[in-house]
Amino acid sequence: MTDKNKQDPRLPDETFEPYEANRRIPLPVYWIAIALAIWGVVMLVQTSHSTLLADKERAALDKQDVAANAPVGAEPAASGKTVFNANCATCHGEFGTGSVGAVPPLANSDIVKAGGAKLIAQIAMRGIDGPITVNGTTYDGHMPNFASALDDKEIAAAASYVARTFTGAKDGVSAEAVAEIRKASAGQDPWAGGAELAAATPGLPAQPSAPQAAADMVQNADVATLVSQGAGSVWSCASCHGDQGEGTQTVPRLAGLPAAYIAKQLHDFQQGTRENDSMAYVAKALTDAQITALADHYAVMRAPSGARPSLDGDLARGEQIAREGDWSIGVPACFTCHGPSGFGVAPDFPALAAQQPAYVAHQLAMWAGGSRHNSPLGLMAGIGKALNDADRRAVADYLASLPPVPATPKVELTAMRSDAQPAKETTNDQ
Amino acid sequence: MNRYLPLAITTLAILAIATLFLVIAPGMQIRGQGAAPGLQPYTEAEARGREVYISMGCVYCHSQQPRATAQAPDAERGWGRASVAGDYAYDAPHLLGTMRSGPDLMDIGDRLPSQGWQLTHLYQPRAISSWSIMPAYPFLFEHKDKAAQGDVVVKLPPAYAPETGVIVANQEALDLVAYLRGMRHDYAPPADGLRDDGYALMAAQAKSKTEAAKSAQ
Repeated sequence: MTDKNKQDPRLPDETFEPYEANRRIPLPVYWIAIALAIWGVVMLVQTSHSTLLADKERAALDKQDVAANAPVGAEPAASGKTVFNANCATCHGEFGTGSVGAVPPLANSDIVKAGGAKLIAQIAMRGIDGPITVNGTTYDGHMPNFASALDDKEIAAAASYVARTFTGAKDGVSAEAVAEIRKASAGQDPWAGGAELAAATPGLPAQPSAPQAAADMVQNADVATLVSQGAGSVWSCASCHGDQGEGTQTVPRLAGLPAAYIAKQLHDFQQGTRENDSMAYVAKALTDAQITALADHYAVMRAPSGARPSLDGDLARGEQIAREGDWSIGVPACFTCHGPSGFGVAPDFPALAAQQPAYVAHQLAMWAGGSRHNSPLGLMAGIGKALNDADRRAVADYLASLPPVPATPKVELTAMRSDAQPAKETTNDQ
Repeated sequence: MNRYLPLAITTLAILAIATLFLVIAPGMQIRGQGAAPGLQPYTEAEARGREVYISMGCVYCHSQQPRATAQAPDAERGWGRASVAGDYAYDAPHLLGTMRSGPDLMDIGDRLPSQGWQLTHLYQPRAISSWSIMPAYPFLFEHKDKAAQGDVVVKLPPAYAPETGVIVANQEALDLVAYLRGMRHDYAPPADGLRDDGYALMAAQAKSKTEAAKSAQ
């Protein structure tokens, strides 16, 4: 205090050393700190809740996959029925009655009686591509092969179910036997109608002979180069769509789509009525003749499925939309237009079975948003808008789990083209 | 400032807690995760391509982290399934990225496996998409009068092709494309993989809400 007295009182005090006094932390600071702490704990609880929930959902999805891939085990008899209803009944009918003039019956079929479950497994593994006579009626058979869609146990269960239920056979076929059939069928073309089946299996009723396909029709050198190497500024088709036209992610599967549909899409890309930068680039560099030839090339292509459910979709919901539709949201069944089992109905409705799930979901979203708008009657826009994100993923995943389409037989395409030949030549001359 | 010790201790304690929760704990969690089964190590060309990817700054516009379906429609875009920690086992440093000025590239090799497409797009993105904002990388290519043996010629539309000669990809472009084509994580992720599930609860709540609304109708 003595120092202080010496200083001129008019000047500011320069010797004062500031010091910290004890003062309470203001209340609002406590409130903020407590609020932050509570928020942190809530977040922590919520996140762990979220993680648990996601784990549970994943486990449910895994179970769904397991159920789809290996239903044999607990109830062998019931699971044969499940596999049959999910995969075979969409064409052959729940009671194996087939459909007049189009799909041969299984119930009391003379072929099933003669060949038994083993023959059914052989047919399921390779598919059929040619005329076949069942109970005296000849059908123009094209059946897909289920080799990539079903495993040995499933095929064994379904084949045994068919033989036992529809023809009263006593013996089924074991998964081991199916595994051997799978080995023997690897890389084989589909059965060329009843004739080839009869040659391989004794005791079958008389079968019509298979017509000779004009194998060289679509194998024109120009198209082969275009597909495998590209030409000029055009990239090779196979470099994105795959060597077997099986597609990947948002690149669609082309194998087995109707030729007229492929050609229409390429023309739409060319004219800008369907939007995709990469495909517009390619289509603008193609001539009409090349488009026709490419469409033919992919239409007759048979390829195993390259798709598998990958969008975490609910397969049961997807199956419901595809087979029955959902009238509560105004969506008809996919299969009413796109054909039984989504095999496509030429010329306007493309096959959906074994299509890449990301492609299907992406296109549905594009229909909904209006950036795809080239369907003949604007049908798909309404459907796209009615489906929500989860429904899109569900139906796309379900379609990806189906066996691939039976391709247009070369014979039919040759016949179609030879009718249309004069018209095509005149366009080429112009 | 005459209580240095309590101040210093408090500061260090705050830093230590932050380090523990933000660095050490996640580090231990991730260390327990090996490479995802199905993940292939990089080939030599891919590893060189990764260096090009880094040096060209691709990471500033492209992420490498597809989101779960609960958070974003990445799977529907064809960007692939949500990634798990094991997918990045061979990435040091990782190239997760923070921006999506361009699309996610975690599964670009699955989505666009065409070497021809990638080279054209790298040389001039506008040759394919007129609206693209991606820079062109013509300096990764060479203009030659005639392609020598083994040269990869870039396919170009007339508007972007040179008047004479051809455009040939140099080694850096080929490596980068090899890296991009190798970016495919289409195998099934490990069930116990470390992943971001933070949006699952919100998605489930939204789903039950729409379902309740539907049943109310």
